[in-house]
Amino acid sequence: MPKIKKKRLGFVIDMTPMVDVTFLLLTFFMFTAKFKSEAEAEQKFVIKRPYASADTSKLPDKDLAIIKVGIDTLSGDTSYYYTIINEIQRRQVYDNLNFTPEQRKPQLKVGLDLLDQLIMQTRITGPRTRFAIDGDRRIRYKWIEDAIDVLRKNNATAFNFVTEKRQ
Amino acid sequence: MAGGGGGLELPERQRRGKKHSKRKKKKRVGFRIDMTPMVDIVFLLLTFFMYTTTMVTPQVMEISVPKEVEENVEVNQANLFTLYVRGDGKLFFSMGADDPQPIEYSQLRAKAVELNLLRKNKLITAFKPSPDAPYGAVVQVLDILNQAEAEIIRQLQAEGLKRERKFAFVKLSPEEVEKLKGL
Repeated sequence: MPKIKKKRLGFVIDMTPMVDVTFLLLTFFMFTAKFKSEAEAEQKFVIKRPYASADTSKLPDKDLAIIKVGIDTLSGDTSYYYTIINEIQRRQVYDNLNFTPEQRKPQLKVGLDLLDQLIMQTRITGPRTRFAIDGDRRIRYKWIEDAIDVLRKNNATAFNFVTEKRQ
Repeated sequence: MAGGGGGLELPERQRRGKKHSKRKKKKRVGFRIDMTPMVDIVFLLLTFFMYTTTMVTPQVMEISVPKEVEENVEVNQANLFTLYVRGDGKLFFSMGADDPQPIEYSQLRAKAVELNLLRKNKLITAFKPSPDAPYGAVVQVLDILNQAEAEIIRQLQAEGLKRERKFAFVKLSPEEVEKLKGL
């Protein structure tokens, strides 16, 4: 005679330890999460950074201006983009250059002339601002060379190259 | 019955003396809440944050270039170690006024260490990337030189010398571009 299986009615597992751990992980990820900035959210290119060996120096969080050299995903054109991280400083720079409301984007697509003006104003409004060049590894070195020349012209002789750790 | 505020307790205690208290407070044993919906939400949030979080922050390579000055600095040709990156990413080096010779990326580190130890602090490294060279290759060369630097500092320290790094970005002249093309 086959045994009749008892249905386990009202079967309950104590979920408390699992919930404890889950909440711990959740709070960890919530606190460490860093969201995309306004500037990054609307950019139409992805920068494939050049590889370098592991380094402990990280990009500073504040007093930073980034010159991005990116390849547009749709058109395939290379161009410079300029971002000042500090919003107050950004407003000051835009005011000094008499920008129209349409031009007041967090990340500007710029040519070398405008880049020169922007860097000069950035130097005036915040002499301690650090500069970083965030270039795609596939672009020609010419783009970087020109950006360095503009920086040198404005006496910004120490700057950073943004790289990615080689796995 | 559960709403036992402070106001209710006092009369109860007084009543105890009169020996009849039929209503005993029930202890809530084995009290359970169904946690499933909460767990659902928590897991949803957890997976969301796990996927969106980026653990790797970009690292940087520090570069410094000399200020713009008009006057030219005289350099002893014999101590000049020049590195070239051609438009196709190929690497070349030359000592002094010699013609550029090809070198592999994997050999560059050993070469840089060897030459620097030979000439001590006198060696000047000039880096001449071609304007057409891929930026990734340029950074790779800089990275290799930085790695070699650690080795050089260690070796020179053993000899009791203080390292003075002499490095510069130099622009490639049109003649050099032609010369590199032919190699």
